[in-house]
Amino acid sequence: MTFREINSKMVEATVLPGQRLFSQRGAMLAYKGDVSFTPNLQGGQGGLMSMLGRRVAGEATPLMTVEGSGTVFFGHGGHHVHVINLTGDTLYVEADRLLAFDGTLRQGTMFMGSQGGVMGLVRGQVTGQGLFTTTLQGQGSVAVMAHGGVFEIPITPQRPVHVDPQAYVAHHGDVRNKLSTALGWRDMVGRGSGEAFQLELSGSGTVYVQASEEKL
Amino acid sequence: MFRLQGSKVLAVDMTGDAVKAKNGSMVAYDGQMAFKKLSGGGEGLRGMVTRRLTGEQMTVMEVRGHGTCWFADRASEINLVGLQGDKLYVESSNLLATDAGLRTGTTFTGLRGASQGNGLFTTTVEGHGQAAIVSDGPAVVLRVSPQYPLIVDPGAYIAHQGNVRQSFQSGVTFRTFFGEGGGEAFQIRFEGDGLVYVQPSERNTIAGDL
Repeated sequence: MTFREINSKMVEATVLPGQRLFSQRGAMLAYKGDVSFTPNLQGGQGGLMSMLGRRVAGEATPLMTVEGSGTVFFGHGGHHVHVINLTGDTLYVEADRLLAFDGTLRQGTMFMGSQGGVMGLVRGQVTGQGLFTTTLQGQGSVAVMAHGGVFEIPITPQRPVHVDPQAYVAHHGDVRNKLSTALGWRDMVGRGSGEAFQLELSGSGTVYVQASEEKL
Repeated sequence: MFRLQGSKVLAVDMTGDAVKAKNGSMVAYDGQMAFKKLSGGGEGLRGMVTRRLTGEQMTVMEVRGHGTCWFADRASEINLVGLQGDKLYVESSNLLATDAGLRTGTTFTGLRGASQGNGLFTTTVEGHGQAAIVSDGPAVVLRVSPQYPLIVDPGAYIAHQGNVRQSFQSGVTFRTFFGEGGGEAFQIRFEGDGLVYVQPSERNTIAGDL
């Protein structure tokens, strides 16, 4: 457990020699000990190709590498911070929601179209995720940001969960997601309930939802 | 059944019954849910005319189904209010959800409404059941009793319930006209017996500028 929640908007990370952390550039609030921050031109892990991939995908948020020994405090923009612990599975999250993550996690970029083809692309547009999203895989923890508090909803094969695309933060596990529309004639004549698009998540895993419908 | 998940998320467990909620405030659900738009301000033709005239048009949706539905509104704090046949007066922008069995209507508030920056009308909720109201920051519930009237800043007032009379009082003096006012030129005075919900934040009001 690398990250410890100090309060709802701040996390403390312990950095040990030989271990690395990645964090959003400028998200450091304070640190103790001998810690160095180096801007990471590649915007994460992997080689040159990964970097190019992220640039092309628009998932290249400026990251920095945190190394040394000591403790570092992270927070950004007064947003709520939530720590997610991964045990071997894959977390899907938008790059700009990432506050910090363990260096042991493998970072990747996923094309939205690879999950559900054209509907996947439409989903990306509706949720504001764009055409690509970031994946993190392995053992370790991730600190993600959200507007308002975050709560978890477990997804089981018997209980698919529907989420408002604007309130969706991240999900992990073996989850299929698709955009379900509840468009009726009422929406066409401007008398919709404001819930025309929903993200349907089914399978087994967890989805993280924020208590707000505002973007970061 | 309403329950709070944290202070900013309202979870409602439903078994075929319905709730009324602010349009677009659903953040997630499991099970089967159907969403339908309703219009606030009361039912029927009379309600429609009232809404048109008063401008107290809350767009409401009816959520019906089996499962759990989660509601939230721009990370505002949520307060649960239980109603046993009494009436809750609340600004439509502060009302998040109510049991479908509760009746909603519109009442005239007069000068007090104008000073709150919310117009001349307010929403009423009446019946037996639960309602959820939102506030900017955690709200405090203050009791009004015949011996102890309560005076509230119009910008911080969100709702009240019970047998309460309200009047408007002003602390406007000649200093106010010279721009030397204390910023508290108008207040609402509550007398009687009931509860008043106050938020730790002030909306922009005409009174706040004086």
